[in-house]
Amino acid sequence: MSKRTDDGIMNGDGSTSTDTHWSQLAQRHYEPNGQGELTTALVFAIAEAKGVSPPEVKSPPVYESVDIPAIEDAFFGPDLAGDSRQGVGTVEFQYTNYLVKVRSDGWIQVYEPTEADLS
Amino acid sequence: MAGEPDPDEEATSNVSASTEKQLPPPAVLEIEPVYEALGHSRRRYLCYTLLEDTEWSLTDLATKIAAWENDVSEHEVTENQRDRVYVSLYHAHVPKLVDESVITFDEATETITTAEHAEQVMTALEGLGASLDANQETHARSEMDE
Repeated sequence: MSKRTDDGIMNGDGSTSTDTHWSQLAQRHYEPNGQGELTTALVFAIAEAKGVSPPEVKSPPVYESVDIPAIEDAFFGPDLAGDSRQGVGTVEFQYTNYLVKVRSDGWIQVYEPTEADLS
Repeated sequence: MAGEPDPDEEATSNVSASTEKQLPPPAVLEIEPVYEALGHSRRRYLCYTLLEDTEWSLTDLATKIAAWENDVSEHEVTENQRDRVYVSLYHAHVPKLVDESVITFDEATETITTAEHAEQVMTALEGLGASLDANQETHARSEMDE
């Protein structure tokens, strides 16, 4: 079994990039207008998936895996007129061996590969 | 025929005079790190705390920022409040400031120390003082003057 530690992968069509099967471990809703940051919500979701407390999620920093401010701008930031963007889609990337999806409706989902499909 | 080219000469001499003006040294014009560092309230606050002391543990910084954001004293900060700030510093703001050479981060001890671009960022921040809690700025200054 190969452990993938790629940098971020973004797929426009919302599909995963390989034939690997994934099972969802955790999900969390990010409130764009709330006090928290997307990075925080994401790390809390990853921590839940790993079964650890959020500060125990260490290397690598999410900063090195994916451009979070770009996702915030694309999905949750204001447009030029100051209204909220109506972007619709999902950004997927891998963080260590987890697959993370951030949806434009604010849902963050964390998956792990299932090992049943090693055909 | 008798036209003296006075206006042209005048114009030419003005141009040469202005190009002789001294430009500031390139380092002063390098303001990208300043914009990047100060583009988020948590990074501004982090840079403020560097005025107080040039070295901080990440946990202490997270506690300070959480106290400021929740408007409570540092010993009243809950674990959840501190954790939320801690992970955003660890996974977003600290690596960003390291990229901009404003701080260095020792992963083993989780200690933050000022780096080469810290001075220009802190200078800019002092000029912008009003954008943050005035008490905090006074606090930061008074401890620095001692």
